[in-house]
Amino acid sequence: MITPTLHTDRLTLRPYRLDDFDAYAVLMTSDRAKYMQAGLDREGAWNWFTADVAHWPLFGFGSLMIDVDAVGETIGAVGLNKGINFPETELGWQLYDGYEGHGYATEAAVALRDWGFATLPLETLVSYIDPANAASIRLAERLGGKRDTSAIPPYPCDLIYRHRRAA
Amino acid sequence: MIPTLHTERLTLRAHVMEDFAPYTAFLATGRTLYMGGPHDDRTAWSWFCSDIAQWHLLGFGSLALTLKNGTFIGQVNVIQPPIFPEPELGWCVFAPYEGLGYITEAATAVRDWAFGPRGLTTMVSYIDPANTRSINVAERLGATLDPYAATPNNDPTGVWRYARAA
Repeated sequence: MITPTLHTDRLTLRPYRLDDFDAYAVLMTSDRAKYMQAGLDREGAWNWFTADVAHWPLFGFGSLMIDVDAVGETIGAVGLNKGINFPETELGWQLYDGYEGHGYATEAAVALRDWGFATLPLETLVSYIDPANAASIRLAERLGGKRDTSAIPPYPCDLIYRHRRAA
Repeated sequence: MIPTLHTERLTLRAHVMEDFAPYTAFLATGRTLYMGGPHDDRTAWSWFCSDIAQWHLLGFGSLALTLKNGTFIGQVNVIQPPIFPEPELGWCVFAPYEGLGYITEAATAVRDWAFGPRGLTTMVSYIDPANTRSINVAERLGATLDPYAATPNNDPTGVWRYARAA
């Protein structure tokens, strides 16, 4: 599996590099990760970082870093996640501090969702979201995700938003 | 990008998802005493992914040891997670296959690949001083104890250093 690079109007979604780790670890060990069941230290952040990367050879999908083309800055990541605890394949996203409010996460998530439906034998994807994470709930709804109260979440309190392949 | 290496009795190949269950079963046994074990499946997943992802991040990582009939019997890796001062050559073999020289055979091939085609200039094995079986493997591969080398997290582990062939 060659990890893809995707282009949108404003963004490049590209494979993780080792030099992405410091910023990723800052995010994952910060309060911004409070909705991600994380509570990670730097070593735990490495485990998440490398699991994101290893998804590509193991599952044929995974996470990509988000670069803003105009400024050449990396602003977060978007991913298709399965791991060993997710009942279904999840579409997720995370932005570094200071980059919200520009629609970047939506633009990146649309691109990876569309890549997933075009490439993988999946009819639906889900987003597992903490009920208190209002920003991610709005994003899931902007993507057209619909609440699914019948599916099983990895953590009992998570909301599930289901994304369907376009007809 | 991930090499496949062939020795007399083994094929060393990239990991596939099907390797995870036997790897997890191994980490849950008392055989991982010198690796801080036994370990649960979350730790197994973290290690499995970290060792695979390093191929993409660093250009080295773990390879699955398989017999010529395809049976998955263990792992040899060259890894350097952030807490490791240097790239480490490490190994494990599942219980039914120990004592047959498979680790020495596989680790020799990986050492030669790492110093040869991969071009590493330094490589060590971090080994618990009580783990005489692994120390024996390292010494068969020509490693010698380096009492001055830095250790991961300053842990009191032994550092066996490999010399590049002249």
